[in-house]
Amino acid sequence: MIDSESFTDFKNSFSYGSRTDLNFKFLKALSEEEAAEFFQGLLWKMGDFLNNGDRTALIEHVRDWQTRAYSSQEPTWVYEDGPFTPLTKVLKQTHLALITSTGHYVAGDDPQPFGVAEMTQEEAIKRISEFTGSAPQLSLIPVDTPGEQLRVRHGGYDIRGAQADHNTVFPLDRLRELTDDGVIGTLQPTAYSFVGATAQTRLIKQSGPQWLALFKEREMEAALLIPV
Amino acid sequence: MGHLARLLEEGGIATVVVAAQPFRRRLLAMSLPRLVLTPHPMGRVLGAPGDAARQRVVILAALELLQTATQGSTVLELPGTYAFR
Repeated sequence: MIDSESFTDFKNSFSYGSRTDLNFKFLKALSEEEAAEFFQGLLWKMGDFLNNGDRTALIEHVRDWQTRAYSSQEPTWVYEDGPFTPLTKVLKQTHLALITSTGHYVAGDDPQPFGVAEMTQEEAIKRISEFTGSAPQLSLIPVDTPGEQLRVRHGGYDIRGAQADHNTVFPLDRLRELTDDGVIGTLQPTAYSFVGATAQTRLIKQSGPQWLALFKEREMEAALLIPV
Repeated sequence: MGHLARLLEEGGIATVVVAAQPFRRRLLAMSLPRLVLTPHPMGRVLGAPGDAARQRVVILAALELLQTATQGSTVLELPGTYAFR
């Protein structure tokens, strides 16, 4: 019943509701006044765009409100300091690996979350709370995998950018180029990906330590980590 | 991903996390060893689809930080814009 919907219900519907749009799920974290300011600014900048063709202001508006919304939330995990391992070798002699929480895998090697074969992005979105309550699954991805063999599914972010160009979040091509150019000494033959929307305590206590053992066995010395 | 970075560093693997600006506050709170924040929207961390030049710049900045950081919580807020080429 659209005619009886409140503005709060409307703005919240973008976050796993009737209008799910993962680029704009942050609207739920905004007050009514803030959400109104966001929409008004968006439309005004769209008007500017129609006149000057400059989309930068539109893009920055979205990014800035994403930042504002997520920054308004108290962080769940706070650490005063943390471990630090210096890189003792020069990069040209280092075994570097790519690890992302983007939900990538290779066609034919679907991690099949919850035993579901060929789960769609839509189903992953619907089952987001099951993902965040379960242990993550690590996908192993040969770094020479052709782009057309890469698949991505993640119920926490809009995967359309990654589908248009996997290098936006899973930069296999860029890393291969940098290796060919001699900037990177040795790219590990396998890249790794998992769905970052996962049970953090299980990641800390179970999966993470298991993965670390695997990485050490494979002589990983440094890692480029990309969360979404 | 922040927790994995901390686990790897404890295990002797040097890490650099590259993330989009909207996650700034929650990642800064985790005192990560090395963090590059890009001024890009969520889900397009390294740059716009097709913008190979920008993606390369971001990775090079991350690799530089991997080598040059001398202590934890080293943060680089990358300048530049999200654009299409």
